[in-house]
Amino acid sequence: MVGLSVGEKRFIQGGIAQDLRSDGRKRLTYRPIYVETGVIPQANGSARVKMGATDVIACVKAELGRPSPLQPDKGKVAIFVDCSPTAEPTFEGRGAEELSAELSVALQRCLLGGRSGAGAGIDLSSLVITEGKVCWDLYIDGLVVSSDGNLLDALGAAIMAALSNTGIPRVLVAASASPDEEPEVDISDEEYLQFDTSGVPVIVTLTKVGRHYIVDATSEEESQMSSAVSISINRQGHICGLTKRGGAGLDPSIIVDMISVAKHVSEQLMNKLDSEISAAEADEDEL
Amino acid sequence: MEFVNPEGLRLDGRRAMEMRQLRAQIGAVSKADGSAVFEMGNTKVIAAVYGPREVQNRSQQMSDQALVRCEYSMANFSTGDRMRKPKGDRRSTELSLVIRQTMEACILTHLMPHSQIDIFVQVLQADGGTRSACINAATLALADAGIPMRDLVTSCSAGYLNNTSLLDLNYVEDSAGGPDVTVGILPTLDKVTLLQMDAKLPMDIFENVMQLAIEGCKAVANYIREVLQENTKQLEVRRGV
Amino acid sequence: MRGLQVSLNQTQKIRLQRALQQLESLSSKVNVNASVTVADTIPVNFEDNILKGHGTVERDGELVATLCGVVERVNKLVYVRPLRSRYKPEIGDIIVGRVVEIVPKRWKLEINFSQDAVLMLSSMNLADGIQRRRTAVDELNMRSFFEENDVVCAEVRNFQHDGSLQLQARSQKYGKLEKGQLLTIPPYLVKRRKQHFHHMEQYGVDLVLGCNGFIWIGEHVEVRDTMSGDQVSNTEQQNTKSSTSTNYMDLEEQEQGYTPLETRQNICRIANSVRVLSSLGFNITVEVIMETVDLSGTMNLEVHEMLGSEFYVLVAEKEAERRCSSGKKKG
Repeated sequence: MVGLSVGEKRFIQGGIAQDLRSDGRKRLTYRPIYVETGVIPQANGSARVKMGATDVIACVKAELGRPSPLQPDKGKVAIFVDCSPTAEPTFEGRGAEELSAELSVALQRCLLGGRSGAGAGIDLSSLVITEGKVCWDLYIDGLVVSSDGNLLDALGAAIMAALSNTGIPRVLVAASASPDEEPEVDISDEEYLQFDTSGVPVIVTLTKVGRHYIVDATSEEESQMSSAVSISINRQGHICGLTKRGGAGLDPSIIVDMISVAKHVSEQLMNKLDSEISAAEADEDEL
Repeated sequence: MEFVNPEGLRLDGRRAMEMRQLRAQIGAVSKADGSAVFEMGNTKVIAAVYGPREVQNRSQQMSDQALVRCEYSMANFSTGDRMRKPKGDRRSTELSLVIRQTMEACILTHLMPHSQIDIFVQVLQADGGTRSACINAATLALADAGIPMRDLVTSCSAGYLNNTSLLDLNYVEDSAGGPDVTVGILPTLDKVTLLQMDAKLPMDIFENVMQLAIEGCKAVANYIREVLQENTKQLEVRRGV
Repeated sequence: MRGLQVSLNQTQKIRLQRALQQLESLSSKVNVNASVTVADTIPVNFEDNILKGHGTVERDGELVATLCGVVERVNKLVYVRPLRSRYKPEIGDIIVGRVVEIVPKRWKLEINFSQDAVLMLSSMNLADGIQRRRTAVDELNMRSFFEENDVVCAEVRNFQHDGSLQLQARSQKYGKLEKGQLLTIPPYLVKRRKQHFHHMEQYGVDLVLGCNGFIWIGEHVEVRDTMSGDQVSNTEQQNTKSSTSTNYMDLEEQEQGYTPLETRQNICRIANSVRVLSSLGFNITVEVIMETVDLSGTMNLEVHEMLGSEFYVLVAEKEAERRCSSGKKKG
């Protein structure tokens, strides 16, 4: 991974302590964010997000499925992440398995809520077509193409962009004769419903280095972290999920403090993403 | 099923000898030594090259030539119906091998002894002809990494359906059960380096189909040369002195 | 284009395009026509007894390129100068590298070459400055000079018969680089010059432009006299040892040793100039870096804003202007 000399490490730590990081950013400044939508035309929705040298693709595919018997009124969403060896030669073979699993689970936690589906960032009941019978299964796949830190936030942003790029075909359900029969469904080729992303949260990871914490850490900065807290926050300012990583323990009061900072940062990030996404969609329409 | 209608148009509106639109972009992964995105119609592939660099596993080091390695991977979302395949299934292993052998044949490996070159190809979208697209992307990435090569290998496929030879099959045509002939050539040396076919075909028709695929390779080669030429020119212009 | 991670708005796109076109028109007379792609034939007259150089092979009585690049002709030698590629060392080059391994009597350095380079203990100035045979004690103390991951500046000494590369650091100016950051850029953007060490006095910054594309930007350190070199590294080690053991206790103390804010600002400004210039693919010299730093200063930009789209376009325009005026001077 990242090998740094003692001098470089101290330089990075010093920069964070003095609120001037190696690339000139303040502790709570993001790298420029670049969004491109519709990169995978075969999917229902897709987006590519770049933050500095971090480059990820998220893709949404919708398939018809059957709701689980425990939650007949909810659709299903699955999130998987893969790390391509193009990003890092060490990801070759099974080299990225752990990281991929970690990212997948963290995203599920941030976006899908618990097993009951309550508190999910993605509105699962909007995916139901006929209660207990037919629903949409959303498969959200992330792919890390190039990695330079802050993968989770980038993936979160890419998923948000991909979802707002997602059109789900309108489905007509023929009234079935008896309740036991499989309902006949007719998927429209022309009519698409825009997926509602108003509830989808953004993920803000605060990485603690020394006594301070930073957003959007590069991989060099991440190598110096003592711990990191990823918080997903929606437009209403509610926390949708939270993950703490890293070995060092955190004082509970610091965590509360970090959450309030993350909430503040998330508003800016949300606005930035909104404008980038709409710019990207405008670009796509032009083509 | 009718793959070529009476007017001679294919399902996606192409003529029999028409190739899908080619698009290439050099420099997609900033950290890699060389990288490229290559698109043939809806098929879209990223290739990244790392090296030549110190051999990571010392027992594989060779004192007279470079070690060339390749890994092919497919994104979960790349196929029409989404499936989650474990990494390193047989198909990917075979493809990795094919790409490696094809690229190794054109890299001047003896100029870089004791070193290692890694080629990673990642399929973003598969719509037939991934093999060819991977090879074309890898060629671009290797050229971008400044690795010396004999020639620019290019690849293209052709098939035979409804008594017609068809160039550059897409997924629907590929899975129609007809033959799929994938050819890789060294265009300036005029040599075939890769040839694969998966169905039976009379000799004379095979010749015809292979010739068509070779023509396709040449068209790809012309396109790739243009892209590289323009890229080199841009780099030199920007650098200034 | 590579490394373009900024999203430009419509006017910025047009401005950038215009600047790049200007660059193109300026250089159209020079080298551009000499650019070749792999397998292109290079027009030569074999009767002139030409010498085939790098990036060429002879095939069927023709000279063929094996690389993408620019054809250079020096007397009878014809070769292809590659643009993007790994570092191609030349003897006497000043390079910056990172120690990856310590093996008996030598350090192995990653320098963006096709193999790790070798720095022999015997090609190093010892701490006591006396020329003598290296003893077993010296060998045991190798880590007190350079540890794994240390950033080191050295000179290319020679090639061994097996193709591996030897370095030397027999001068005060070579050695460990500390308190700063390392950037890696494509080596073709760094031109070989007389001067690769730059002490930017007005900023208190040392800049080392390694021929291998490793660029060091750090706090200025006085060239140490022979004795102190060892002492510095010793105290440094004690520092790190104590900081790991007592961890948070002496954070205050640690912060005292940090680079002063003003110097840090300068380091970051210079680093971001290098980042912008290299992502635009412009040749990197100390003069251009300085101009870029000044430009950001006159624009009153904060350091991180230098990586934004507006500055990116501005630097491109500035470069076009600069080359335009320097072209006129020559003409």
